[in-house]
Amino acid sequence: MSESSPSNSEIYKRITSVVAKVLDVPEDSIKPESNYVNDLSADSLDRITLVMALEDAFKQQIPDEDLAQLTTVGSTVAYIETKLAAKNQS
Amino acid sequence: MSRRVAITGLGAFSAIGTNVEEFWRGCLEARSAVADIPAKWNDFHHYNSRVWSPLPALAKSSDLVNDIERTKLDAAAVLAMETAAEALRNAGVPFSRVDTKHNIFALANTDAGRAGVFVGTGVGGIGSLLSNAAYHMLSPQPPRLQQIAKTLASSEQHQESLRTAERIAADIRIPFRANPFVVSMIMPNAVSANVAIKFGIHGPAQTNCSACSSGTVAIGTAFRAVQSGAIDTAIAGGVEHLNDDYGILFRGFDMARTLVVRGQQPFRNDQLNRPFDRDRSGFLFSQGGCGVMVLEELEHARARKARILCEVAAYSETCDGFNIMMIEPKGRQITRMLARLLDSAGCAAADVDYVNAHGTGTHLNDAAETEVIERVFGKTPLVNSTKSLLGHTIGASGALGAIVAALSIRDGTTHVCKNLDNPIRDLNFVRSAGSHRIRTAVAQSFAFGGHNAALLLKAMA
Repeated sequence: MSESSPSNSEIYKRITSVVAKVLDVPEDSIKPESNYVNDLSADSLDRITLVMALEDAFKQQIPDEDLAQLTTVGSTVAYIETKLAAKNQS
Repeated sequence: MSRRVAITGLGAFSAIGTNVEEFWRGCLEARSAVADIPAKWNDFHHYNSRVWSPLPALAKSSDLVNDIERTKLDAAAVLAMETAAEALRNAGVPFSRVDTKHNIFALANTDAGRAGVFVGTGVGGIGSLLSNAAYHMLSPQPPRLQQIAKTLASSEQHQESLRTAERIAADIRIPFRANPFVVSMIMPNAVSANVAIKFGIHGPAQTNCSACSSGTVAIGTAFRAVQSGAIDTAIAGGVEHLNDDYGILFRGFDMARTLVVRGQQPFRNDQLNRPFDRDRSGFLFSQGGCGVMVLEELEHARARKARILCEVAAYSETCDGFNIMMIEPKGRQITRMLARLLDSAGCAAADVDYVNAHGTGTHLNDAAETEVIERVFGKTPLVNSTKSLLGHTIGASGALGAIVAALSIRDGTTHVCKNLDNPIRDLNFVRSAGSHRIRTAVAQSFAFGGHNAALLLKAMA
């Protein structure tokens, strides 16, 4: 999924909910193109906290080295969708 | 004139009660929570001791510490914060959220710069250390074992080796993640730092680490800080939460032959823990607990019309300087500590109505402690051991014992010394939780390392 993917998917909604809770921002202010640092004021510890919250929400481990891929909400949706698809196929 | 120090609020979490009044009712009803050790521990070792005292499960989230925060905190820190909140509520010190993102609160009508936190713990975030160590060491192993199993499965003659490899694979329990916050979870000072952060406290925030006397030392250090004028309000107590999927900590105490074992007598599980009894065999391993007090300078408490339970009149500590695991058998430094305690409080030994003893149930502790109690206080004061109900909660034990002493003064009663059928010395052990005149109480703790500490509590004159 690219950053222009539909913003009404179930995974997008769940990720938006987690992001809103961790970063204490209104859900309706979050867009697929929202950058965690530039748009949602996340600091480095917020980003690590967010990754753990996503791991718990999706029961899916996210290795340290993948953190750099998760810069926007849209890139996070794409990453989680790919991971879940791989898990379902294994 | 020296400033006086009042106890204005209490909080407790234990195997027999998840708030202070439930804990106290459990004490007066002589309740215990004794269970077989977790079956999974037996996969790794056969232990001499077979029982422990587990804690009720902690909530996964609360208004005070939400689920996101809990991913970054050891259970000991969560327990310290929740129990501190209970003590503050009971002290009539309201707090309200001032930062929604970080879920931070502030105390109302309190000068945060003149408030302090003093929390004792034996091992701090040991559960997080064990979990992260397990992940670090074990997470690479399953694919390696699968490779071995694949090779072994190809040959008839290696079937037994294959079963061994499968057994090893079955025993490997890998936690869900290596936590990026592990350092801040395992450091012992996290217990006091997190309380200070949660409630926006800017005075001293100390962690007192002296094994089984940690909670007593923390309350004593807080008492001195308030008495000296350095601060007006202190959140003080002790905490321990021993999460251990593998039984490593339990094995450590078990190897040292400190834990209760089944002997010649046909005792039920809940009768094995027998402080001060002829048939004692060691202490009951507890998963932990937490006790927290709010201490305040007396006039500060009176000015806000706080309910005062009793006062802390004196604190004393000494070190055996003798052995890292063994109490000095004559209790010379404990005797000296108690003499200084009485002197500091301006009390005679005969003024002491009740001694909340360390009372672990080990042969050496109980023999030495009863000799010291008789030498210092004689046979008159009531004596009990809260460990006869809870087992040994390590860093929390001194705080929970001090809370029992405070409530005993408040209510004019105290709990029995459970399972005491044949006392090893003729002292005035508590045999019924009836009405007792308790105006002055001593709560004492000893520890691996030789750290002796005692508090003297008095009813308000």
